[in-house]
Amino acid sequence: MSARPLRVVGQPVPRVDALEKVTGRARYVTDLTVPGMAHAKVLRSPYAHARVKRVDATRARALSGVYAVLAGADLTWCDPYYGPAYRDRPVLAIDVARYEGEPVAAVAAVDEATAERALELVDVDYEPLTAVMTLEEALAPGAPLVHAGQPPAGHFADLSTLRPQPGTNICHQFHFARGAAAAALTGADVVVEDAYRFPSVQHVALEPHAVLAAWDETGALTLWASTQNPYSVRVELAKMFDVPLARIRVVVPHLGGGFGSKTYAKLEPLAATLARVAGRPVRLAASIPEAFQTVRRCASRVMLRVGFRRDGILVAVECDADYDVGAYADIGPRVVQKGTYTATGPYRVPHVRLEARAVYTNTTPGGAFRGFGVPQLAWALESLFDVAADRLNRDPVDLRRQNFLAHGEEFAPGDTPIDGKLEESLSRAAEAIGWTRASAADRGRGVAAMLKASVAPSVSEAIVRLHADGSVTVLASAVEMGQGARTVLAQIAAEVLSVPLDRVTVVQPDTAVTPYDQTTSSSRSTAMTGRAVQVAAEDVREQLLAIAAPSLGLAARDLALADGAVVAASRRLTYAEALALRFGMSGGELIGRGVIAPGRTAAPLGGSTPFWEMAVGAAEVSVDEETGAVRVERYVSVADVGRAINPLLLEGQDEGAVVQGLGHTLLEEMLYADGHLLNGTLLAYRVPRADDAPPALECRFVENADGSGPFGAKGAGEGGLIPVSPAVANALARLTGVRLRDLPLTPERVWRALRGRVR
Amino acid sequence: MLRPFTLHRPATAQEACALLAGLGEEAAVYAGGTELLLLMKLGLLRPRHLVDVKRIGGFGDIADGPRLAIGAAVTHRAVERSALVQARCPLVGSVARHVANVRVRNVGTVGGNLAFADPHSDLATLFLTLDAAVELVSPRGSRELPLAEFVRGPWETARASDELLASVRLTPWPSGTAAAYVKFGVHERPTLAVAAALRLDGGGRGGGDRILDARIAVGCVSPRPMRVAAAEASLAGASIADVDGAARAASEIAAASVDPADDLYGSADYKREMVAVFVRRALRIAAARARGAEPSERFPHAVVA
Amino acid sequence: MSGGVTIHVMVNGRARDLEVDVHALLLDVLRDGLDLKGAKRSCDTQVCGACTVLVDGLAVSACTYLAVEADARSVLTVEGLAEGESLHPLQRAFVEAGAVQCGFCTSGMLLTARAMLAENASPTRDDVLHYLRGSLCRCTGYRKIVDAVLAAAETVR
Repeated sequence: MSARPLRVVGQPVPRVDALEKVTGRARYVTDLTVPGMAHAKVLRSPYAHARVKRVDATRARALSGVYAVLAGADLTWCDPYYGPAYRDRPVLAIDVARYEGEPVAAVAAVDEATAERALELVDVDYEPLTAVMTLEEALAPGAPLVHAGQPPAGHFADLSTLRPQPGTNICHQFHFARGAAAAALTGADVVVEDAYRFPSVQHVALEPHAVLAAWDETGALTLWASTQNPYSVRVELAKMFDVPLARIRVVVPHLGGGFGSKTYAKLEPLAATLARVAGRPVRLAASIPEAFQTVRRCASRVMLRVGFRRDGILVAVECDADYDVGAYADIGPRVVQKGTYTATGPYRVPHVRLEARAVYTNTTPGGAFRGFGVPQLAWALESLFDVAADRLNRDPVDLRRQNFLAHGEEFAPGDTPIDGKLEESLSRAAEAIGWTRASAADRGRGVAAMLKASVAPSVSEAIVRLHADGSVTVLASAVEMGQGARTVLAQIAAEVLSVPLDRVTVVQPDTAVTPYDQTTSSSRSTAMTGRAVQVAAEDVREQLLAIAAPSLGLAARDLALADGAVVAASRRLTYAEALALRFGMSGGELIGRGVIAPGRTAAPLGGSTPFWEMAVGAAEVSVDEETGAVRVERYVSVADVGRAINPLLLEGQDEGAVVQGLGHTLLEEMLYADGHLLNGTLLAYRVPRADDAPPALECRFVENADGSGPFGAKGAGEGGLIPVSPAVANALARLTGVRLRDLPLTPERVWRALRGRVR
Repeated sequence: MLRPFTLHRPATAQEACALLAGLGEEAAVYAGGTELLLLMKLGLLRPRHLVDVKRIGGFGDIADGPRLAIGAAVTHRAVERSALVQARCPLVGSVARHVANVRVRNVGTVGGNLAFADPHSDLATLFLTLDAAVELVSPRGSRELPLAEFVRGPWETARASDELLASVRLTPWPSGTAAAYVKFGVHERPTLAVAAALRLDGGGRGGGDRILDARIAVGCVSPRPMRVAAAEASLAGASIADVDGAARAASEIAAASVDPADDLYGSADYKREMVAVFVRRALRIAAARARGAEPSERFPHAVVA
Repeated sequence: MSGGVTIHVMVNGRARDLEVDVHALLLDVLRDGLDLKGAKRSCDTQVCGACTVLVDGLAVSACTYLAVEADARSVLTVEGLAEGESLHPLQRAFVEAGAVQCGFCTSGMLLTARAMLAENASPTRDDVLHYLRGSLCRCTGYRKIVDAVLAAAETVR
């Protein structure tokens, strides 16, 4: 790598897709049409739990303009189950509907109006069954089972050891221990313990799930899908239809937001099934209420016991966490183990006993959502840290500093050592919020820290093509969902190959064209996919140098790339010239390949995290005591990112993360009563608006180039969100003396707590 | 997606009423459509006929007189920007500025809002303090009904199916009245709304300092917005300089008078307590305005007009 | 009137005669009839603003607005903001400020801001928030959007 200063990496360049987005030219799935396309609508169970005794589609099929009507019983010609952890989720309910909103029948018709009318003509006989709607109900002895019998395992290596508890609604258990936690807690000078609840919340990506599926005359399937994992979707469909992977093509245009809601197959199997039966392409677009009936965050009840020595040293953590994963496991089991794995946060803890359970309930399936289990745990741990600080008569910032894992220290045997400087993030956040200055009488400040592992093992592959005119194409399957993946990948390629950014094109993910990338989630796209792109570009560079060396009469090691040319002192060979040399004509291209696949290791989760995501949040709040309304006046987020490939995009990510975190902290909660979701629409579910953003919001970055990603980069995007709720609650506690343990901190909840009437 | 319907665009109220009378249950009155079209999209209403009132002469007018008459098809935006409203009933313009969001304000109408009778209606709450009366026209002629009688309950009015709400008439407050409107809540619809108007003796700023009479309306927390006469009476004779004590008493009466239910917007006891809080606050703001001051205090999740 | 009717609309400065159903929503006529895909269907309940277009300069929720109401009126969509290849100052400001992430809210934000600037050329931050509080974004946290609108206002002045 060249020692010269970076040219485009590290620059706050405008994103490469900004122009198409501000002119309305960017295309999302529902902007796409193909000839002969049919429109699909879904009939969904009105019951949280019911036997589906009979689905009669006769009248619906008879309606003019209807191409296909499907129910679960019709799916005898394919494998109708899918799911990344358990293959427990049927494309359409088979014999039983397990949550309100579960697809029971689906129609493909000439237009949406006809499809809607056809739905009304589908007759379904339900026999309502007792539903378990909460963790308590699902775990009660003798509770009705959401799934009778254990479904087969899905396609992830780290979940090959799924551990359900047969005869219960527990579909996975995670256990981790070191030392002797119970004894250490008994011997600790101060033990703080309590149960903290995190609500069900929905991602509310402004673009709900959408798919366009088309089978061709050879029996190959093409899908345009609003998905964060084209490759996961592909493998599910291949299994379902018993079609080779090579004959399934998943193309991903722009996503109108993801946040985890579009990881793993959601509506793609249904769209593909309908398209097959209808004999024509089918576009299936969910509405926002249907998104609430497709996926949500796993709600949780986390019981933590944390023991400290009198001098402030953290000695033990015991965790018993239950996560509500809804009616189908989705990626819930991994959320559970991932979240619980870092239940100890960014701290050194010798004695640990962590237990967590993924529990089925008859509600919308819980899956991935930014933070992936860690917000649920951090909510508990970081709140308790302040409770302990109070008991120990210690400053909360100081107590954290005292217990932080150091750079290079082991987190768990076999896993990657800590690759950042937590202390630096903490100091900068504390300074920025004015921690040591007295706050105004009507303001309180609080801090929280986080640590999260990225999914491991994982695989990212990339191809970089240098064309005859010196322009570059990057082929990689990191999905652009707003986070700026395409821009960052372009910057990396432009940097390595020393070409202007606008000479680099990043192609949309397309499994027929762009090579394997495991997932766009887990804050991994810069570190993993970006690294693959970097390696692929370096491969091209090596080829260029090898071509140029003899021509310039120098050794390759004496050559460098600059401004679209191979250079040495005063000699210069442009890429176009180099390719012409290589191919003997103006044509041909150089192709470079990058494969990042660290593989399985002895780490507890099966692979060593490619990087640790670490961040600190500091909040300054005021509260209207008469109403309980909390206002975040100032918020500072400091994330340790190694290298900010694009500081402008990174700042935007974390600003968005903080405000999204304020959603579940102050406003958002999916509310159920009598088995029904009461607020699955934006009329009744309150996401942050422009005037909810803190008037003073700063997002800062620690950059020590200490990551394994390109140019020392790590990952980011979740660290901004995770500390928000405990930082705000800690600030509120410091201001009012009141400690809340259930989110969101709605005005009524805070008001009630202020009055000492705990409900 | 909407089901097909026939759109009628009568030019006169008589024509519109004749249509309503003839079509009965098959017809819905249509102005801005912000509520109606949404209900139709959700499949909750399926009228085969829409009777558009926007072309009816006079329905788009704001007319001056002893009372201010706002035509049913006047948009919230037009109310917000009307110099006449600003002159005669300024608080009405300020409140209109905060109805829903800017897009709904551009299209939604006063008549549509009142006829829909959402218990969370800002305008209905405020208008109760302005002796509002609605003008209803039908094939039988026209009648006027006090707003308090027109709004019967949640989404329920006294309008017969062949009647059309033509306008709402507001009686501007006498000079020397200071007022405030405050709504509070986290959701799209507020948890509660309070309109408070204080008429002082002396007829103007710096003139008298005693409250001659008060008007207090509370919305969202009962099946329909209500004036609270007992709270109003408790304020009569109170000194403006000393309004906090009187406000406290009035707020407690108001809180006891409402009939809240547990719902998405809050528990009944919380709503009740918030009524007390915001009646106090609205009175405090009105009192400050009576003294010629414009209080800058604002409350999180509350809109002050 | 019922069934199909012809309306005359000025769309992005161009006079159009459109055959629409009486019950057609403006959003669908723009997206499917005219291939103007910039306005998006999101919440479908007038809350989010992703479907915002300007009718005679006023922001409306096209998802809940009959196409026939646009007859004899002018409609501006995001596709009409730029003058040829020359971006509107708002578009340029959004690009430069990093106010775009997934882009799904962008068209609505731009048009709402455009309507606001036509009414108020010197908005304060509070003025901007008053207008934009009815437009949701889940990606950006709003800060850069508000900054971009204020920056564009200065440019236009």
